[in-house]
Amino acid sequence: MARINLKRLKNKAKKEIVKTQNLKELDKLFKKYSGKRGELTSILRSLKEMPKTKRLKVGRQANELKEFLIAQFDKRAKFLKDKSEKESKKKEWIDVTLPGEKILLGHLHPLTQTRRKVEEIFQSLGFSVIEGPEIENEWYNFDTLNIPKDHPARDFWDTLYLKGGGLLRTHTSPVQVRFLEKNKPPLRIIVPGRVFRHEATDASHEINFYQVEGLMVDDKGKISIAHFKAIIEEFFRRFFGKRVKIRLRPSFFPFTEPSFEVDVSCPICGGKGCSACKNSSWIEIMGAGMVHPNVFKNSGLNPKDWQGFAFGMGMDRLAMVKYKINDIRLFYSGDLRFLKQF
Amino acid sequence: MKFSYNWLKEYLKGKVPKPQKLAELLTLHSFEVEEVEKIGSDFSLDIAVLPNRGPDCLSHVGIARDIAVITGIKFQFPTFKIQEKKDVDAKNFLSLEIRDKNDCPRYTARIVTDLKIASSPKWMQKRLRLLGLRPINNIVDIANYVMLETGQPLHAFDADKITNNKIIVRRAKKGEKIITLDNEKYTLDRKVLLIADPQKPLGIAGIKGGKGSEVTTKTKTIVLESANFNPKVIRRGSQKINLKTDASWRFEHGIDANLTEIAVNRAVALMQQIAEGKVMKGMVDFYPQKVKPRRVRLNLIYLTQLLGSKVDIKEVKNILAKLEFKILQSKPPNLLVEVPTFRLDVNLPEDLIEEIGRMAGLQKIPSIFPQTALIPPQRNLDIFWADFIKNILKEAGFTEVYNPSFISTKEIEILNYKISKLIEIENPTSAEFQFLRPSLIPLLLKNIRENQKYFKDVRIFELGKIFKRRNRKYEEKRMLTGVMTGPSFYQAKGAIDAICNKLGISNVWYDSYEATPEESEFSFWHPKICAEIKTDHEEIGFLGEISSKILEGFEIKNKLIVFDLDFEKLKTLASEEHEYTPISSYPAAIRDISLLVPQETKVIEVLNIIDNIGGHLLRDIDLFDVYKGEEIPGGTKNLSFHLIYQAPDRTLTSREIDKIQQKIIKVLEKNPDWQVRI
Repeated sequence: MARINLKRLKNKAKKEIVKTQNLKELDKLFKKYSGKRGELTSILRSLKEMPKTKRLKVGRQANELKEFLIAQFDKRAKFLKDKSEKESKKKEWIDVTLPGEKILLGHLHPLTQTRRKVEEIFQSLGFSVIEGPEIENEWYNFDTLNIPKDHPARDFWDTLYLKGGGLLRTHTSPVQVRFLEKNKPPLRIIVPGRVFRHEATDASHEINFYQVEGLMVDDKGKISIAHFKAIIEEFFRRFFGKRVKIRLRPSFFPFTEPSFEVDVSCPICGGKGCSACKNSSWIEIMGAGMVHPNVFKNSGLNPKDWQGFAFGMGMDRLAMVKYKINDIRLFYSGDLRFLKQF
Repeated sequence: MKFSYNWLKEYLKGKVPKPQKLAELLTLHSFEVEEVEKIGSDFSLDIAVLPNRGPDCLSHVGIARDIAVITGIKFQFPTFKIQEKKDVDAKNFLSLEIRDKNDCPRYTARIVTDLKIASSPKWMQKRLRLLGLRPINNIVDIANYVMLETGQPLHAFDADKITNNKIIVRRAKKGEKIITLDNEKYTLDRKVLLIADPQKPLGIAGIKGGKGSEVTTKTKTIVLESANFNPKVIRRGSQKINLKTDASWRFEHGIDANLTEIAVNRAVALMQQIAEGKVMKGMVDFYPQKVKPRRVRLNLIYLTQLLGSKVDIKEVKNILAKLEFKILQSKPPNLLVEVPTFRLDVNLPEDLIEEIGRMAGLQKIPSIFPQTALIPPQRNLDIFWADFIKNILKEAGFTEVYNPSFISTKEIEILNYKISKLIEIENPTSAEFQFLRPSLIPLLLKNIRENQKYFKDVRIFELGKIFKRRNRKYEEKRMLTGVMTGPSFYQAKGAIDAICNKLGISNVWYDSYEATPEESEFSFWHPKICAEIKTDHEEIGFLGEISSKILEGFEIKNKLIVFDLDFEKLKTLASEEHEYTPISSYPAAIRDISLLVPQETKVIEVLNIIDNIGGHLLRDIDLFDVYKGEEIPGGTKNLSFHLIYQAPDRTLTSREIDKIQQKIIKVLEKNPDWQVRI
């Protein structure tokens, strides 16, 4: 009789466990069987009233059933827990396409970023970064650089003069002489800074803009155009992050001899021709040359002892090519619609 | 300058590359060709002749000579013949008086008689038009044609209009007047050089001819001038009367004095051929100091060292020969080179090396990294601190702007700057750029005005130079200036604290600023909401709200807080030294103090007392509430502080803490207006 009872109890319990839909029901069911007054509990309690032989037999079977039921309950509990977790997660769904909350971000000016990159590359090549005054005089801006008075060459640099004497430097080149006067070569410097021109402003001209000047001087015979080419090629490759090529064309600057223009293969189209390079596949980007003996002389150095190269380029132009900016005036507009893109 | 492709070809005995190809070759070896344009059966090449090559290359002959070297084609100047009239000698016909040979190193003239003035031939007119010149008559056109060919400006005078057949080259008298060929009237002075006869000016030397001696259809005899003038004199004269012409442009660059003779002969030969003129025997020639070729020594080892690649001696000699340089001596590695007089630009060995480098091809020079001593770059602290500060402001949500270095007259009025303290531009491009900016604030305000259309909250800053006049001296220094919208004095103060903190400047304090009544009327600043920013002994900047009057002037709607810091001072105060303070492993205890004080009491006064009495066990003071309201008496405010006590080496006992706390309260209450509430 007890045996049948146990078997029936087992089947009934099995069915009921599977039917439960949540943990609460399962818990109730557990109490029905294994609680203080549970069906199985009462069977186990009644054992002590049984004869010894029967008690051993039924006792063993009842304990087996108890373990079996605990396992079944655990299994169902795990199942129901997973199920409810899944359901509740479904309710926690979010729209991932909703825009994120804006955090307050500041921005550095594109010319600051360009300048940092230029400085970083040249510093890694052993160049020191030097600065100089923006208000200059004719001596440093022109005379020491072998730009004679009353010569058409001066027309290259449309100059803003100050009432009461002096002028706004038209290029960063005066710093070459200022530095050479105080520092004995060998030396390697770059000079970034603001320069000024007496010019009407338009998409490619500004009354003030940035240049970076470079100068490398060593013993006579040590520094050549070949060295200039290697350094400048390395600079452009690192700056544009591509294997750009350079090309030198003859040019004239009073403070270098020989002088040349440096063109870079268009980093935008790679030489196929585009609006940035006006379909020429080259971008004119830098003026350079070997330091003119008169510049050494004017700096108090003997041109027989020293030799080197100098170069200058527009920082704005570099940034315009790099970021594909078509109007130089944007840099000085303070327009946050522009600045917040950087 | 524009050049005719067909014309250039005339001097070259061989197959000349097509226009586009030629343009490319010239760009790589001589000058940039900016444009090639097909016009009829000819092409015009717009060539940017470099200023140092003006003397020889503002001419078809000069460009053709360069092409000959680049392409290896032979260059040849056309041959011509002059049949001279034997009866009169030009020297007897015309007399010359050159007052200063420095103004006019050479004056050459020939006389042509029996001329038939008419239009020049079609082919000549076509070429002149192609190059932008208007044909006038055969004489004037021939003069222009030869100028375009050789680079030597020529001028024809009607001989019948020259009094006493005498030409004088002299400076103009002050106030002397002349009417030029284009009927413009000029008043001259000592700066201007004149061609004159004993009675009147005939033309402005090297710049433009005079109306009075013009060649007309009635002209029979001309004096054809081919002169060499001092470039500086012509440049100053041209600037003085503000007149630039094809002739003055060429003279400014300097011209070979030996060219006058070649050009004048070429021109009279053409006049004989085209205008049926008869050429008088000989020429009038003032040439006291003949220009002789210069000699330059070239060392081939230096050539290799400067270019960074070797050019074979045969090629060197070939290039020099084709450029018409003579090698007088060849003792390798040394060459003694004679420079033709038309190459005014070649004076030094470096100039010769440039010629060889560009003709041999700059592309052929390899890229080689220099081998030099390892010299570590110097650290530039100015740039380091500038970058450092910019990063902090960026982190604080500020966007960096760059403004022009100038401000306008209008802004000066709004801000009521004293002009005597400003630096004014002598030749401004417009009223907008008339003065150098004495502060970064005005243009930042302009930025705010422009951006308020698109952005509600704006935080911007600039680190740039300002300019002031101090007596006779100019002052140029960098400022760090920021603007934020909204009534956020304490936010801006927080930003400054953060900057100073990160720069290692610990002793910053804020002092309220009392402007004198005179100052305050025109001040930028709100009279009350502003403060001087100070370190121990000096002011390093200013912080405050912009006065409503200024805001109105700039058409700004919202309140603004501005900070204006002296970067030069910041960078000297800044320090990279930074020391770690060990984190105490003993617990901190917090006690609060609430203090009722009059409205105008400054928090700093309270903080100073607490800090002083608290000593080293009081680690931190935190003002967490300022209350003004109904529950406290009018005219007062309630300040609430957390006082954080901690020792680095032990757990503090309550007795210890209470003792300090009581002492603080006692001292605070010594002030009769203050009342501790907890």
